This record gives sequence, structure tokens and C-alpha cells, in this order.
Amino acid sequence: MPKDRSEKVRVTIDGRSIDAEKGKSILEVARECGIEIPSLCYHPGLESFGACRLCVVEITKPGWEGWKKLVTSCLYPVEEELIIDTRSEEVRENRSVVLDLLLARVPESDVIRQLAAEYGIHDTSYTKREDADTCIMCTICVRVCDAIGANAIATLSRGPDKYVDVPDKDACIGCLACALSCPTNAIPFEEFVNGKRKIWGREFDLVYDEISHEPIGTPEQIDHFAEKSGLPKEYFLKSDKVRKKETAVTFARVQF
Amino acid sequence: MSAALSFKNPEALLAYAEKVKKYRQQRTMEIRVCAGPGCIARGGREIFSAIKATIEKNKKELKKKNLEVGVKFEAKCTGCHGLCEAGPVVTFEPSKLFYSKVKIKDAEEIVEKTVLNDEIIKRLLFKSCDSRGGDLIKKYTDIRFYALQTKVALRNVGVVDPSNLDDFIAEDGFKAFVKALTEMSPDDVIEEIEKSGLRGRGGAGFSTGKKWRSAKRVKQDRVWIICNGDEGDPGAFMDRAIMEGDPYSVIEGLLIGAYALGATDGFIYVRHEYPLAVKHLQMAINTLEKAGLLGKNILGTGMTFNLKISRGGGAFVCGESSALMRSLEGKVGEPRAKYIRSVEKGLLDQPTVLNNVETFTCVPAIIDKGSSWFASIGPKSSTGTKAFSLVGKVKNTGLVEVPMGRTLREIIFDIGGGIIDDRPFKAVQTGGPSGGCLPVDKLDLPVDFDTLSRAGAMMGSGGMIVMDDRTCMVDIADYFIRFLIGESCGKCVPCREGLRQVHELLDRIIRGDGELDDLKKIDRLCHTMEVASLCALGKSAPYPVTSTIKYFRDEYMAHIEEKKCPAGVCKSLVKYDINKDCIGCLICKKQCPVDAISGENKKLHVIDQDKCIVCGICYEVCPVDTVDIISGGEIVNRRELEVVNP
Amino acid sequence: MNSETKTKASKKKAAVLKSDTNGKLDQIFDLYPREEDSLIMILQEVQDRLNWLPPEALDRVADELNVPRARVQGVATFYRAFSLEPRGEKVIKVCLGTACHVRGAQILVDELERRLDLKVSHGCTKDGRFSLETVNCVGACAMAPAIVVNENYYANVKPDKLDKMLKKEQQS
Repeated sequence: MPKDRSEKVRVTIDGRSIDAEKGKSILEVARECGIEIPSLCYHPGLESFGACRLCVVEITKPGWEGWKKLVTSCLYPVEEELIIDTRSEEVRENRSVVLDLLLARVPESDVIRQLAAEYGIHDTSYTKREDADTCIMCTICVRVCDAIGANAIATLSRGPDKYVDVPDKDACIGCLACALSCPTNAIPFEEFVNGKRKIWGREFDLVYDEISHEPIGTPEQIDHFAEKSGLPKEYFLKSDKVRKKETAVTFARVQF
Repeated sequence: MSAALSFKNPEALLAYAEKVKKYRQQRTMEIRVCAGPGCIARGGREIFSAIKATIEKNKKELKKKNLEVGVKFEAKCTGCHGLCEAGPVVTFEPSKLFYSKVKIKDAEEIVEKTVLNDEIIKRLLFKSCDSRGGDLIKKYTDIRFYALQTKVALRNVGVVDPSNLDDFIAEDGFKAFVKALTEMSPDDVIEEIEKSGLRGRGGAGFSTGKKWRSAKRVKQDRVWIICNGDEGDPGAFMDRAIMEGDPYSVIEGLLIGAYALGATDGFIYVRHEYPLAVKHLQMAINTLEKAGLLGKNILGTGMTFNLKISRGGGAFVCGESSALMRSLEGKVGEPRAKYIRSVEKGLLDQPTVLNNVETFTCVPAIIDKGSSWFASIGPKSSTGTKAFSLVGKVKNTGLVEVPMGRTLREIIFDIGGGIIDDRPFKAVQTGGPSGGCLPVDKLDLPVDFDTLSRAGAMMGSGGMIVMDDRTCMVDIADYFIRFLIGESCGKCVPCREGLRQVHELLDRIIRGDGELDDLKKIDRLCHTMEVASLCALGKSAPYPVTSTIKYFRDEYMAHIEEKKCPAGVCKSLVKYDINKDCIGCLICKKQCPVDAISGENKKLHVIDQDKCIVCGICYEVCPVDTVDIISGGEIVNRRELEVVNP
Repeated sequence: MNSETKTKASKKKAAVLKSDTNGKLDQIFDLYPREEDSLIMILQEVQDRLNWLPPEALDRVADELNVPRARVQGVATFYRAFSLEPRGEKVIKVCLGTACHVRGAQILVDELERRLDLKVSHGCTKDGRFSLETVNCVGACAMAPAIVVNENYYANVKPDKLDKMLKKEQQS
């Protein structure tokens, strides 16, 4: 059990020596130091999932006699003496194949096309999926929805046929967290069509701030957050702007 | 003897065992009817009922002959005898008489002639395929298939009635558990298992003792012990045979493990395709709970061990340990990355030991006979024996167990009797979808964990599928990829998307649209799948493809360059034709699903190629083998001259 | 979802279920602890009784075990043991294990699809008698190719034996 919460381990990333916090993943540590590792299924607010395999890096240690291993940086915890290469030929090769495969899955996705182009891939070498949407099955939507506590989205079926859906439309609270977290904008939604919000095939009413008349969210969403957080419902009936204003007034009254 | 057995302490169990053995010494004849999967399908159970009924009818007669039923004579239904090819099988003890291909109507004759009058029914004797003349063999110990085997894990399968605790106890059942409990400390048990060199029989071959030791090191209140009976490799049924035929040995292994690890709770995870295994294991658990061998205060020693069965949901990926544990938690069986091992954080994030059925079954034997006995069998790095299911195009299909280190040739040609119809051997597939196909020049490799891995295959859990010249290796590669597409959990990109694309590429080759460049693409994809997939399923998914490309490249080339399937399998590249030796029997004409065959009685039949859907039924049903398979302009189904002989 | 909508929804579901399954499921929820761990076992019990998993049964499982409906759907569609479509009284399972494959199992699948006018894993015959499935090895490799109809095993099946098999299963 580490006494000090920020116990450090020394690692080398792309030649740079770094004192990293024990327990963190290679990806977290690298990003903190400004070393960019591409990823699609990683979300800082959620437990690492390790599905897209884009964040692979090559690791070795002084005692490994030159032996190297490809690992998923979002899952692999930093260890003392770890030498990490985020841009080796092997890393780039596997990222290329992964991106090539994803491009075949979602040929219309701008995000994937751009990423693939960075690895020199402008058209997939493989067979494109018919009637392709832009979902890459990173399941961030499922995990975000679970984290919020609505548990409305699930992965259905398995293997190449796997897809995400909301089997019980009643469970969706229309909060848009899934759509806004999606790295490839694969979840379509509509706002303000006749004053309503549309997502997952369901229509939601919108609640407006009484003062600023800005839209806040759906009644279901407000009920849900009030129930989960234990805060009074009124708290959620204000728009961000109005809340900031109120806070400013409160702070002005407080003497420091 | 008695239905409501209950043992208050270890001594009571040992005393009871003595009593059972003594009582059984009076037995002068025993009939064992095989109820393994193969024999059941051919009426094994009905044969047993018929024999039982005849015995009942002849009770007086039997007593007169000094064969009092239940004392001097018994007929029982056992698990798989192994030689499924000869099923339904009925054997006799102590004479070792072996009857094969028994029918229900033979039951009366068996009792009247063989039991009552010591008369051997010749037509039921096994005709050996070893000798071309077809010698009749009386004793199963004289059949090469049996004579060359060494049974450890399968020691009781086919010997005991799986529903009878007395039977198990008479075969020294629970002797090892009592020994561990009374003479050994938990650490002694782990040391003994470690010294035996036992490696996990599920495929990965990790040292069982080491696994137990590392789980024990984790400081946690609760340790789980799980028996993996999710035997998913297609072509493998060793664990099924053990669970169905000798459930008590599996449980004894678990009990010893639970004692060594201090585990109070355990699961046996059985795949849902094995309902009989579930039934027999559940019966055994119920009996043992009543007998004081499971539950609280086991044999009065204060040890607690609760054992439950969990039926799998039907997912091959759940053979992977982290996915299996998710499944036990009621979740979707998606594997987790293994940077944290399950011995530390497994089921419900608690330390968990997971071993396969055969591994647990070896444990009591090791404790009973000692680690040095086990270690003396097989090579140093892979000790003990291994059970295999020997299937495919081999004469003696069935279940075998041999010391590690026997060669593939010994297993396939000596025990298996060679290839059906003496066709040429082409390949043997080991290790299921994670394994590979080995060609003829690898036949002399010793079968152990390390040698087969080095050759690009894998011993795996023990499926051994023999292939002859009529098996297309491109088709086999695609078969495994399709299998894995159906079984991939779909979590990570290389496996989910990679499998789909490898299949697309193989399919092009099979259709005759393949190009040389496709092989390069496959190579590259396979590399990424191997190094970048999340779990063992994805990482090993390319092996059936890479091993066939490595050893059977010419077959791929024939498909790509000559648009020819040398084995005559790939539909787009073959057509069927009836040759002039046709006897005009009308059978193929009747069976053709699309009426593509014309011809009259005793006249040459002709296939209308425009109508033909290349289903191959005419070839299958022709009684005189006059249907030719043509590919690349050549007849490809006629036997090649060089036959590989043992 | 607030508590009011939840009660309303579950009341509606309960009503639908009653008319459909005649209380066949009432006892199964007491067989296992009411928690997520029991989900797969409960679904197996449901399928054992109803032969498939109708949507309203899944609604009830979600309610009884207090597991999100989405997760129940995820599990029910992940595992192959579960059928989300009604199945025939008899399920013909053609084994596609490796041993069966090299001995011609695919021909049997094609032929059965033709004879029963049925696609694998899709619905059942018009009379509701049969549905057709494939299985990745039933562990009966020594009798390849093998077909299992409910509990009956058929060994070394050749295309010309299918007639006899279907006739026998049609009558019994």
C-alpha cells in the first residue's frame, strides 16, 4: 500500500525521462507531458476499455535484453524503468492496419478519414461495409449512459454484427450525453424541431430557464439528475448562464 | 449399498471404502455398457435397458450359475469407453471381452450365451483395422487402440457408473482427498502439485502449482476456485467425456484444490451444449452434500466448500478466463486485458483460480500416487498424460489418452489405425481455432506443450482432427475464420473487423477470384490480429490461416493461379460428372435435390451442369463411386498412389 | 426515470406478460438470488419453459432482478443459447464442429434448409414443428457428421438419411 498518494515511478517515453504517478496508465502520463497518443475508445471520465487498439505503444525494460512488447497504453500501468516508444515502426504499422480496418467499417466518417490520412491511408485496402453508418463500436455511449445511471444503451449481439441500441426507449432520458461524447458523431439527434428534442427515435419536451428562456434539458433528464444527486430539482431548472450570474452575486456578498 | 450415505469423519469414509471393496470382491462378472455420446446416439442406453430386462428375466437361472445379481454379477451403464468407432460397446470384466456395434436385439443373446454359458458371440467381436485380414479380437486389452494408451485423467471413464458413489469409492475415490486432509498441509498439497510438473490442460499450459501458489499469496479473505468445463474447441470432447463419465473425480480435484487454497466457494462452468454433463455433475453434488463431502464441516474437519454448477450461455469466448468470469457475474462475456491477472483480481475482483476439467481430474491421481510418479511420465517440461479426441478422417475415431511426448504418427496411425479408406494423410489440426494444421513431415513431432507451439500449431485442449487428401486447406482456414466470426465477442477492432476482412479475402480465393496480393494482405492482417488483439481468442485467431499458408502454400496458389481446388471441395471451382462405370442404379437421380440428373434404370446417368448446384449429394450417395469431381480440368477425387504408411 | 413513470411502465408490462405466458415464470425468480449475477441462469430457466425469450418476459426479468432492460437485452443477444424468436417444437441442430465439417456437415445444412424451406436460426416451419440451427461442435465428434434433434442424436448422417430422420421426428 503506497503511503504517499503520489508515489512516483521513473519511465522513459520517446526518449524523455519522466517521473510518473504510480497507478496511472501510460496514456494518461504521456498526455500529461504533451505526448500525443491517438485513441478512440478512451474517455478521461470513464474506466479504460481497451477496444480500439489505436493507442498501442511498444514497451521494453533494461533487463529484457531488447525484447519488446506491444501493449494498450490506456490500460497498461506505468512501472519503474519502463521504456515506452509511442512511434516505433511496429506501433505505426499496427495503428495503420487498425485505421485501415476502421475505414472499411465507416468509410463515411470524417474523423476516421482524417486519422487514417495521417497514417498515409486515403482509401481502405479492404472491403467496405455495406450501408455503413459511422459507429466504430467504441461503446463510449454505453459507458457514459451507465455512468450517468440511465443504463439505457447496450451493445447487442456479438462479433462483427455487434451494434449499439436503446432496447427500451422509456429508459432514455434524452440528456444527449451519448451523442455529445461520441468520437465519430454517430448518434444522430435533433434539437428545437417544434420546440422538441429527438434522439434514439424518441421525442422529448424541453424545459426552459424562466429567466433567460434558454433550453436546459428534458424533464426526464432533470428528474433523473435531481434523484441521483439528491440536490433540489430547482437547482437543475436554471441554465448555466443564470447559475453563473447567481454565483457571482453570492460571491459578491461574501467577505473573504 | 445404501442411498443415504453420510460420513462424519475421514476414518468413516475409509472404513466404508474397505467395506465396499470387500463386498465387491465377491463379484465374478460385470458387464459395462457404454453410454458415451457416440454410443448413446447409436442406442447405448436402450441396449443397457434391454440387457437389464433380460437379466431380470433370468434371475433364477443366473443364481443357479452362481451369478447372483447385485452380489456376484452386475450390469452397469458407464461413461465413454473411447473407441467410439466401434460403438455401441459392451465389455465384460474380468474377462476383458469386448463387443462392438451391439444392437438392441443382441441383448438377449448376450445374456443367454455369454453371461450364462461363457459363449462368445463372434459377430460382435471387434474387427481390427490394424491387420488387413480383419482379425477378430476378443479382449479390449489386445486392441492396439487400447493397448497403447495410459490412462490418468480418464482412469474411471468407462469404468464407473457415474451416478454411483459406491462405484467411485471402490476405485479409490476420495482416497487422495482424505490423504490431503489428514496427512498434508495446504502448502504440502501445492508443493506436491508444483513438483509433479502438472500444466493446465485447457491449452495455455501454465503450471497449475504456480497458479495456486500465486493465488495463495494474495492477501484476501476470499478465494474462488472455478473449474472450466466450457470445452469450446470444435473437435474436442475430452472434458465432456470426463464430466459425464466420472463427475466425482472432477469434484475430488476441486475439493483438494479448495483445501489447498482455503477456498470456500467454487463453480463448475459447463457449456450449455452438454446437458448430460450438467445432470451427472448435479447428481454428484447432491449426493456429496448429503454424504458430508461438500458444504459445511466436510468430513467433520470444519472445512467448508460450496460447489455450484453454472451453465454457460453458449459463447466460445467464455473459455477465456476473464470472459468466463464476466459470464458468471451475469454479464456479457467480454474479456478484459490481462495486465492484472485473475489469480489476483478475478471473479468479483477477488483472487480466482481457474483450471480446466482435465487438470482437476489429474490432481487426485497426483496426490494419491505422488508427484514423482506423475513427473516420471512424459518429457520433463510436459509431464503426465494428455487426453485427445482423435477425430476426422481417421479409422479409430474416439477418445485416447497417452503419455506426453508420443509422436503424432503414433497417435494417428498406431492408435488411430490410419486414414479412412487408406487415403493419403494430408494434415492434422490440433488446438482448435487457436491451433494450426501440421503437414505430413511434422508427423514425427512429439506431442507436448512446447513442440507443437514451435511448429506453429498448439496442443491446445486436445482436439486432434485428421484430414486426408479430400480436405481443402483453404476451406479449412476459412472454416475456422467463420467459426471465430460467429464466436468473437466483438469488443476490439483487430479481431472484430480483422476476422471479417480475412474471411472476405479467403472467400475471394475460394471463389476463384483471388490474387497474389490477397495473400500479402492476409499476412499483414494476421500480424496485427496476433499482436494487437485484446484477448487470446483474437491473438490466436490467425493461426489456422498462417499455418495453412505456411505448410500448404501450393494449395492456395492452385486456387489463385490455376483456379483449381486440388481437394475438390470449393464449390465455385469444381463440377461433378458421372463416369462410364455408372451402373444406372437411380440412387443419385432420386437424391438430387434439383433434378439435375437424368438416366434410366441400368443406363448411364448424366448430370445437367446448368441445373447442378454442386451440392455433392450424388458423390456422397453413389454406391459404386462413379461420380468424379473435376477441378481445373482434372479429376481430383481419385486416390493418389503414394499412400503415407506408418 | 422517475418512480412514477417506472411503476406505470412495469404495470403495463406485467399485464402483457400475464396474458402471454400464463404465470409459467412465477416460480423461477425464487430459484436464484435476485441480483445481476443470476441473470444468465434466470434467462435459461425462462427459455427452458417458454422455448424462447419473448420481449415481455425480458421486461419482467429486468424488473424482478432490478437489472437495466438494456443490459438484459445485451446478454440475451450475446449468448447463443438464447433465442429471441419463437422456435419450433423441435430444434434441429446440425453440428458444424471441425470433425463434422471435414465429413460434409455443410451439405446437410444446405439440404435441410431446402427441405424445410427454412433458414438457419430464423423462425420455424409453417406447421411450427421444426426450426433449424447450427452449433459449433456438440462434442460428438466421433460420430461426425452429427445432428441433434432436441435430445436425440443422429450419428454419421448422410444426405440420404435425412428423410428417415425427418419422418421419425415428425411422428414422435
